[in-house]
Amino acid sequence: MTEPVIVLKDLRKRFGIGDAEHYAIDGIDLTIHKGEFIAIMGPSGCGKTTLLNVLGLLDTKIEGDYELEGHPVGSLSARRQASIRSNQIGFIFQSFNLVSRLNVVENVALPLVYKGVSNLNRLKQASAILNTFHLGEREYYMPHQLSGGQTQRVAIARALVNNPSIILADEPTGNLDSHASHIIMEELSDLHQRGNTIIMVTHNPRLTTYASRVITMLDGKIDTDTAIQEEAKESAPKIPLGQPAKVSKQDRQSKKRRKNKRGKGTRG
Amino acid sequence: MRLLLLTNHIQNARQSLKSNRMRSVLTMVGIAIGVASITTILTLGGGASSIVSKQVDALGGNIAVVRPGAASDSSLQDLTKLSASQHFAASTLTETDAKTVANVANVTAVAPMMILTGAVKADSTAPNTTSIIATTPALEDIINLQIQDGQFLDPALSENTVVIGPQLSVDIFGTESSIGKMLTIKGKEFTVIGVLKRQNDPINYNNVDFDNSVIINENSGRTLNQGALQVQQINVKSDSVAHLNQVIIDINKTLLKNHQGEADFTVLSGDKISQPTSNLFTAIAATTTSIAAISLLVGGIGIMNIMLVSVAERTREIGIRKALGASNGDIVAQFLIESLALSVGGGIGGYIIGYVLAFGISSFLPFFPIFTWEIAAVAVIVSVFIGTLFGMYPALRAAKKDPINALRQYD
Repeated sequence: MTEPVIVLKDLRKRFGIGDAEHYAIDGIDLTIHKGEFIAIMGPSGCGKTTLLNVLGLLDTKIEGDYELEGHPVGSLSARRQASIRSNQIGFIFQSFNLVSRLNVVENVALPLVYKGVSNLNRLKQASAILNTFHLGEREYYMPHQLSGGQTQRVAIARALVNNPSIILADEPTGNLDSHASHIIMEELSDLHQRGNTIIMVTHNPRLTTYASRVITMLDGKIDTDTAIQEEAKESAPKIPLGQPAKVSKQDRQSKKRRKNKRGKGTRG
Repeated sequence: MRLLLLTNHIQNARQSLKSNRMRSVLTMVGIAIGVASITTILTLGGGASSIVSKQVDALGGNIAVVRPGAASDSSLQDLTKLSASQHFAASTLTETDAKTVANVANVTAVAPMMILTGAVKADSTAPNTTSIIATTPALEDIINLQIQDGQFLDPALSENTVVIGPQLSVDIFGTESSIGKMLTIKGKEFTVIGVLKRQNDPINYNNVDFDNSVIINENSGRTLNQGALQVQQINVKSDSVAHLNQVIIDINKTLLKNHQGEADFTVLSGDKISQPTSNLFTAIAATTTSIAAISLLVGGIGIMNIMLVSVAERTREIGIRKALGASNGDIVAQFLIESLALSVGGGIGGYIIGYVLAFGISSFLPFFPIFTWEIAAVAVIVSVFIGTLFGMYPALRAAKKDPINALRQYD
């Protein structure tokens, strides 16, 4: 197995004080290795999103140990944490979280701002990644002019634009139809193939077929933690897909389309 | 890389200010009013000073004046404090001082000026603004007074003779040709022996409008003022420009001896003479400066207000930016640059408005506003200062926001 990227030891996150005290995360021990594709499942309020926020260094008021690539997070300065968020972590939010007064391409280019990329290069890179998401023609739309699916694709493009090694996705397909979901999942799967670590929170059991490890949470604790063998994944999905044949056809089509788009993107 | 971030912050500030155009413009107007009044004061003040220094230059550069009171350090001090009115405080200069100065080496002429108040009457009463100046005949030579008709004061003539300004002549006699006519000062009769040439220079380093004045002999002045005179200014002429500096040093030494070592007088030459102009001007300048300061403060508060609103409105955006890798410093810079853009924009606008205003006002005044880079620098520095001062708190507040809570807020 490769070296661990994320190591959690007895991680706790408390909300409220006194009578209202409540642990959203109540003692999690977890080791995530480089290149894993983890799907976190569980009922609402079990602490999935909180865990993701902690992993993404957005929430640093925690108890217990969190080591990111061997460094205890608690000892990192705020500036260093910002730089990790900028360079290593890509966040995909459940509720899009696009900046409403910036257009699509500017939104996607936003993470590059804090890496110090020049304006022209930012727009070029953002434009290239938008093409892979079939949004090349929507570059100068404002976020409110897009459909839900398009908005989420923009948000995902933004999370991927700075080539993060860890991708944190909070219900990335929560607002998408099955076709759009598959485009997104194929993209995530592709990133996974290239060695990125992906941690995805989802309600949709179907999507776990893409994952290499499925964790279910309950009341702030890890309930089950199952590694999915490649062969098992290949042979038969445990959870039946709606229309397997049709979906896989769509998969192929979308893959093909993406490849074409990519070709165009690099030429342009 | 930092520099790139800066240009990005500037682009970003422009974008966000543009998206709230009305709000931004109104905020800028607040700062513009403050900077405009400062610009107006400084340009007009500079204009007034330059007119006096031109007069001093015209005299050939070998003139020094001694004034009562300790020297002020800067012209800013002259603007911000109301000079103590000469009418209430006793002057620290005396006739003895004038006599001592006359004995200093290389001094060719000395004219003490003593300004009295009192009614001047002839066919009709002179306006209250008329100055009664008691001096010596040397004044004519030192300040280069031009006589239109008749002659200047002369020790050979009777003491009860006066030289009057042309405007005063018109005011009390109805004509500029008033040689030989009689007028009364404080009830005492005087004969007019000369009328000055019209100068149209109400602002000059003697603080006297010669067009509207009566010049009398030292002795008559003393008689009119219960036998004692207060000296407001001693005008000194040295024999050459080269000797002026030595003369000033010598005058300082001798006067210091007269005054028991207390430096309660000032010897000025060249441009420095032009510093304190009239009391009225100083008063106006001081009032406008305080109005400018208040309006700048109000403008600054306006900036702070708008920035706080902007931070509150964009809480979610701040959360997003932080999640995408912005450090606290980046957020501070983003909002600080925005407030700086507001204040500097207002500052530049105010500078231009200030000049237009100054030209408007100068059409009622005997001088023009001046153009110097210092005033432009003051306008820019003041607006940068205001922008930083009042933008810092909102920017820090933005940076301190917790990203999780910020992301939960809905636009």
